[in-house]
Amino acid sequence: MLNYWANYFTRNGIGVGMFLLAAVLLWMVFMIILPQLYMVDFSLRANVPPPKWGGEEHVYTLEHYKYLLYGSSKSAEQFNTIDLSVFGRTILAAVFVTIIDLCLCYPVAYYLAHVARGGWARLMIMSLIIPFWINEILRAFSFKVLFGTSGLINNALMAVGLIDQPYDFVRENVALYSGLSYAYILLMIFPIYNAIESLDKNQIEAARDMGSPWWRIHWRIVLPHAKPGICSGSTMVFMLSAGALAAPQVLGGPSSLWFTQIIYKAFNNSANWARGSAYALVLLLACIIFVLLMMRIFKVKLGEIAR
Amino acid sequence: MGITAFNSSAFPRVTPWECFTVEWFSVLAEDKRLLTGLRNSLFIGLGVVCLSVPLGLAGALMLTQVKERVRPWYYTIVISPILVPGVVLGISTLLFWDRVGVMFGASRDSFFYNGFFLTIIGQSTFIAAYTMLVFISRLQRFETVQEEAALDLGATHWQTFKKILLPFLAPAIASASVLAFLASFENYNTTVFTAISTSTITTVLASKVRYGIDPSISALAVVIVVLTLIGAAVHEILKRREIARSKLAAEVAAGNRLSIGKQTPWYFDPALIMIFLIVVAGVGTTFMAGTMGVEECKVAVKTEKQRATQERIKALRERNQAKRDVEAAQQAQEAEQKREEKEGRTGTENFNSIFNTDNLAPAEDAPETTGEPENDPSRTGTENFNSIFSTDNLAPKDDSEQENGEQDKKDEEAPRTGTENFNNIFDTDNLAPKSD
Amino acid sequence: MSADVTLDDVWIRFGDFVAAREANIHIEDGEFFSFLGPSGCGKTTLLRAISGFLTPSQGRVLIGGKDMAGIGPNRRPTALIFQNLALFPLMSVWENIAFALEVKGMSKLERRKRADELLDLIALPGQGDKRVSELSGGQKQRVAIARALAAEPDVLLLDEPLSALDLKLRQHMRTELRAIQQRVGITFVYITHDQGEALTMSDNVAVMREGLIEQVADGSTIYDSPETAFVASFVGENNVFQGKVNRLDQSAAVVETPYGEFCARPIQRNNQDQLRVGDDAMVFVRPEAIENAQSDSANRISGEVLQTEFEGNLWQLHVQLPNGGPRITRSSINDGRATKHQVGDRIELGFSETSAIALPTGQLAAE
Repeated sequence: MLNYWANYFTRNGIGVGMFLLAAVLLWMVFMIILPQLYMVDFSLRANVPPPKWGGEEHVYTLEHYKYLLYGSSKSAEQFNTIDLSVFGRTILAAVFVTIIDLCLCYPVAYYLAHVARGGWARLMIMSLIIPFWINEILRAFSFKVLFGTSGLINNALMAVGLIDQPYDFVRENVALYSGLSYAYILLMIFPIYNAIESLDKNQIEAARDMGSPWWRIHWRIVLPHAKPGICSGSTMVFMLSAGALAAPQVLGGPSSLWFTQIIYKAFNNSANWARGSAYALVLLLACIIFVLLMMRIFKVKLGEIAR
Repeated sequence: MGITAFNSSAFPRVTPWECFTVEWFSVLAEDKRLLTGLRNSLFIGLGVVCLSVPLGLAGALMLTQVKERVRPWYYTIVISPILVPGVVLGISTLLFWDRVGVMFGASRDSFFYNGFFLTIIGQSTFIAAYTMLVFISRLQRFETVQEEAALDLGATHWQTFKKILLPFLAPAIASASVLAFLASFENYNTTVFTAISTSTITTVLASKVRYGIDPSISALAVVIVVLTLIGAAVHEILKRREIARSKLAAEVAAGNRLSIGKQTPWYFDPALIMIFLIVVAGVGTTFMAGTMGVEECKVAVKTEKQRATQERIKALRERNQAKRDVEAAQQAQEAEQKREEKEGRTGTENFNSIFNTDNLAPAEDAPETTGEPENDPSRTGTENFNSIFSTDNLAPKDDSEQENGEQDKKDEEAPRTGTENFNNIFDTDNLAPKSD
Repeated sequence: MSADVTLDDVWIRFGDFVAAREANIHIEDGEFFSFLGPSGCGKTTLLRAISGFLTPSQGRVLIGGKDMAGIGPNRRPTALIFQNLALFPLMSVWENIAFALEVKGMSKLERRKRADELLDLIALPGQGDKRVSELSGGQKQRVAIARALAAEPDVLLLDEPLSALDLKLRQHMRTELRAIQQRVGITFVYITHDQGEALTMSDNVAVMREGLIEQVADGSTIYDSPETAFVASFVGENNVFQGKVNRLDQSAAVVETPYGEFCARPIQRNNQDQLRVGDDAMVFVRPEAIENAQSDSANRISGEVLQTEFEGNLWQLHVQLPNGGPRITRSSINDGRATKHQVGDRIELGFSETSAIALPTGQLAAE
């Protein structure tokens, strides 16, 4: 170990070596690890006003987790159906969004990687990226404009004559799902694109040469090759849409609440930071467990994803 | 959406199309809250760039140096902020630095409780991971032997870093900075927790979007889109020049040409000049078209609408007249009921009901008042952005078990919480009733 | 200024792997010294230990009589020319050359002047403002040399600098390198796996195998009197016969092989692996030492012609010895007098006892 550090400083010099070490420590320890750990600690404590934090009344308790389960920190008679159902719905909706994105992005990524050429491909990539330089809220809002009762889609549908009454896409969550799907589409396209691009075109041609139909080529050659990309894309889309706040706030129908919105309320309206932390932690853990479970089912290693 | 910026209709919509106008751009330019938010966001964005770029760089350089065995762990930790929900990052940053502040005995107005500081830290946590990815991909093409060559020629480690590594990474630093700035500028999930009382462009937009908006937001979108398109085009052209140049260099090396010769400086590039002209012409035309004849058009639309409203009112009046004779008493009772129903509904529904188009509908039907949004009475109540934290907007849902009993109490609290800002959650009075 | 280099029992280990062992070498002041060996033999490791990028696990590196322990590469009087040259692509040619002066804090004017002088030295006058990417392979090579020379090193270290060049250019650069070395008069330590480069340029050559230095000598000694089976088979072409030593004296060894008894010159290496009667031994004969059997040939072999190859100046003849014996190669100068052989001909060959050498059996170089 001593030898390692001696080598490290010989290689980088004292100044640069110290800078690297200090920056990485600041980032890893003070920005990533400690805040998360502190949040865990905080979520396990009673909800007392800030001046008493760290004081005697700030005792360890599981009340916030109980609250999520039973809707009350004391009785365990009935489950907290409101919060739990929101939680379940959030996870399910995130899965749904991930699947939509996967279905949309695989063909696009394949097209970009193997069919489109030169300038045209660049142009397509650019036009995919540019909307993402525009504010998240505005992006979500444009979906509201599109899907609103007097929005473009309703007008178009009415003009064509498919419907005679404006359809309330917002209330039916169509707007929310499309907004979320769109919000994270790039995170799905690029990993898949990178994976497919590294596939040797000759493999596809060889398969075609042997008389394989197009769907079998994809099933047996392209898909297995793109698997790491698909996994990392799906992981990111799932985690981020489950943790999204902006799109549900702007696009959420009156009947649907996103779990992050409950967390947000716990902080801003109920002023119960501890409960908010506990909920946030549950969300984080649930996402991680879900992802690990999926990786287990689809037999992917963590190393393949983190690329 | 961009199109709605040029419609004179008070609600951002394409149809019905009323008049082509650029007035929403001037509304945008005069929106104080938005401008403050914009300024704050720019400041935070700069801070995030200054913090996350060095962090990402250090993280990427460190990745090549940690031991083989530790590397996957290290990578997982530093990449995790990308996957962790922004909400979680925001909360943990807020809590942690509060704790640190307490430990140092810092006062409430020290930087530990400053929205700028917390937002920059919170955003940098995950944006540094983005920039790190940029640096990693650039570093993969770096020949470490160049560093050795410089050292061998007598350079110190610092000179090597400054003269060899940094120039090589310059393009990556530029793109990481742009990326970091954009990511910071558009972030909402983390910012909404760490910003405390500081307003940023996204939080302002979010509150605007909730409380009814006018097309000045679309105008903002148009401005951003145009700026990014120009940026993208310029970037593309510069990149092509770079590619062309390296091709030329390869030809020279192969002996097919004698030398590269003088290249025109970038600002003389015909493509760039073209873009500049198109932008100027486009903006000019739009402005001309958007200012000329708008008033006449608007008056026409207004009179048309007024006529329609008059007719509707007339019809309504006639109908009412007929009814009134028969069921005057019943009518009054019904009206009373309706009002109660409405109250009941807002009480039980959650705060998403503010998105309900019903709420916005009156504004659409009454162009006379919404022509000047500043005077819109429905909006002045929400003028203070912090009032979105006001308990009376959302509280009913929270305490749904004890709904009606607390109604009075809440009404008492409401005016105060409505005007105070977010920090009042530190107030013990607020917390006491909730914890039981 | 110039300096000698001494490796005093240098060992370099990476974990359990020993990259270089018991390296004892003295390189004279002003000498052109080469390390020759197949890739992975540890020659680059030794070079990096001299330049300071590696610290020996054991032993000392002395430059100019001074122990280099604890002195980093940027403070050693050495300059290294890397295998891929490692020119700085973002700097112009002259900035590359003047880099060592820049980090010393020399003024720009002086730097430029010195760079131009060096450009003249490497025969690239007036090319200073070009970009590195605009140079051809040979030009880059020379710029790398100039850049290293600008640092005014006492010892110039070269790590296979010619390996990326094509054959013609490589041969041209050999003479040029040698000329530059004689002009500047400093010690050159050269690493290569190409024996042609090592033999043509060097005053002395160290042949390495698997971390061990097998022989240090001048080129002709290495070629004519290799001390180990590895050196004999690695440097130049050689035909080899395995057998047992029957008789042995100072000037001759008789080795019994399945193809007959051969009389050869024994090479006795100091203090180790001495050849003794009854030992396994190998007889090496260079292809050019094999001729048609004469009546007075000391050693005779016969076999069947497998293949004839015409190489312009040479005829190569591959002959299969009977009973599953080795294939041997004979080369003769194409002087118009050589007898033409047909594939399948039986042929009698012979070689003199002075042109063959006998060595203790050892590992041969891989083909």
